[in-house]
Amino acid sequence: MMASLILVLLVLPLAGMGLAYNFREAVTTSFDQRLTSLLQVILVRLERDPVSRQLDVSLGDSRFSRVFSGWYWQVTDTENTTLVSRSLWDQRLPVTQAEGMTLRNAQGPRGEPLRIAERDVRLPGHSRRLHVSVAASREELNSEVARFEWLLGLSLLTLGVLLLAGLALQIHWGLAPLRRLHANLRAIESGEHKRLDTHLPGELRELAQAMNEVIERDERMITRSRDAAGNLAHALKTPVSVLKTLGDRLAKESRHQIREEVARIDTAVRHHLARASVAGSTMLAGRVPLKATVAPIVSGLARLAERRGIMFEYHLDATLDVRMDPQDLQELVGNLLDNALHWADTHVRLSAVAANKGLYLSVEDDGPGIDPEQRERVLKRGARLDERCSDDSGSESRPAPGFESNSDTGSGLGLAIVGDLMALYGGELQLGESALGGLCARVWLPGTTSA
Amino acid sequence: MKLLLVEDDRALAEALGEALRDAGLIVEIAANGSEGDFLVRTERYDALILDLGLPDGDGTRWLAQWREDGFDLPVLILTARERWSDKAAGFSAGADDYVTKPFETAEVLFRLRALVRRSHGHSHPVLVSGALAFDTHSGRVTLAGRPINLTAQESRLLAYLMHAIPRTVSRSELSEHVYDRDHEPDSNVIDVQISRLRRKLGSERIETLRGQGYRVVAVETLA
Repeated sequence: MMASLILVLLVLPLAGMGLAYNFREAVTTSFDQRLTSLLQVILVRLERDPVSRQLDVSLGDSRFSRVFSGWYWQVTDTENTTLVSRSLWDQRLPVTQAEGMTLRNAQGPRGEPLRIAERDVRLPGHSRRLHVSVAASREELNSEVARFEWLLGLSLLTLGVLLLAGLALQIHWGLAPLRRLHANLRAIESGEHKRLDTHLPGELRELAQAMNEVIERDERMITRSRDAAGNLAHALKTPVSVLKTLGDRLAKESRHQIREEVARIDTAVRHHLARASVAGSTMLAGRVPLKATVAPIVSGLARLAERRGIMFEYHLDATLDVRMDPQDLQELVGNLLDNALHWADTHVRLSAVAANKGLYLSVEDDGPGIDPEQRERVLKRGARLDERCSDDSGSESRPAPGFESNSDTGSGLGLAIVGDLMALYGGELQLGESALGGLCARVWLPGTTSA
Repeated sequence: MKLLLVEDDRALAEALGEALRDAGLIVEIAANGSEGDFLVRTERYDALILDLGLPDGDGTRWLAQWREDGFDLPVLILTARERWSDKAAGFSAGADDYVTKPFETAEVLFRLRALVRRSHGHSHPVLVSGALAFDTHSGRVTLAGRPINLTAQESRLLAYLMHAIPRTVSRSELSEHVYDRDHEPDSNVIDVQISRLRRKLGSERIETLRGQGYRVVAVETLA
């Protein structure tokens, strides 16, 4: 586009200038040739009749007879003027010394610009040299050139406008498929469409198809890894549950040990399965409406909260949306609420506000909370599990109200899973104190594309 | 408290069933959805533990069907599924609470007792009637602060009557909820156990309404 614009704006005027220059040169040359040949005619006449000096020098052109017509001739003796055309009347042309044929510009009797062709001749039988000049007004020449330039300018301008318009049209039509592709991508990002439209010309269709395949493969991989994770969870968890239940009935010392080992298995399984199930922030992760996506979980947990005698408040604006895989979003909210409902005495609150180019989502409870020095450990738990699997999991568990023992049902792990999720999405999880008296878990989700 | 456990994994069903029986519950086990369905429709339970992954259809499908047919007993879901999208399906089918595998027996008991208590309209874990108090979590019975020793069967009987306050409970309801299906008592056995309870708690605390059943009455003073 830019190159074409430069072409039109720069090359066209240059070409115009070149054309005008050449035209002027050509016209001037032919004008000069005409003057020269007129001069030859006068010379021939003078040679034929050098003595009488009664030259019939109308030269076949009436303009030499019309007074001040702009067309003049003059034959000068070295001392005085001998002969002039009638058109010159009582005026004379300026004379300069010129041995051979000379062409120059001068001013005429009316002040008009003249082109003069002149030369000196020595006629046989004539002692003195004669100076012969023929002059013609350049006005005609100038007006012809001006007329040409005007026409040239006009046609070049028209050409330029047409070229630009054609260019714009070509770009408009030529790029229409690309614009459609772009709109398609936007639609996928906003979650309106799942796939790119492939009604496009040749190469672009292939591109769109290739991208669709990438999206499909992405989805298939996520689904497969989620299914595999779910199946593995199911296969592992039931036997672990059996072990745990059997362990609960053993004597106190051995029970403790079994419980710890089982907790270790459970923690590792949960952590890695959660990891495997995360879709993560993909290029084409669309925006999903917050309220509608978490509605099944929120309404389900509201029912549980009611059964547990906990007041569960939630304020979610229906206009808020998030750039996140819907299942990951459910995972995020589910884990935070699960943790809050686990520890809360009577009150849990879920709220969300759009701020700081993203979304803040807070879950608060009125439970025991987490000490500031413990918070870091809870958050780092996921990272530690990645480094080495043999860890003293369960060490940061807190006694649950109503339980006979330390319960490591993975409540702290839920927060660590949320922390991992936030790391994948470029978000942030902060743990603090709630106005309700317990823990306030607050996540910030980037709302716009990271690009 | 009489409980139905619908769980297809035999080892887990037996281990959990045993642990819950140790805690004084009557536990019946169904190994699949259709067996559970039959029992839900024919027997009376105080609560139901439902595994979501059953061989004959997802647990949520059975639950949704029961809810649709008007069975409103409290249901605790056992789930091995980690994903919240899976759990949400259970909630919307009408579950009252859930426990994730692997679970603590203590947590299952805690959730169950809370559910049963709430299904009878009590929010506090200790049920009180005059000087008599029954702690639903520990199963401890106190009379004016003094602990009373009860047998497992007596304790179940009293727990059911205390949960039912101020309702009158018929003999047939008691036999349905307090006794094992295989050991259904004749009315004589219930009368004998009620009179033992009366001896331990004071006779005026359990009232007999002729032709209707039994009722726990609030009495402040000690007999």
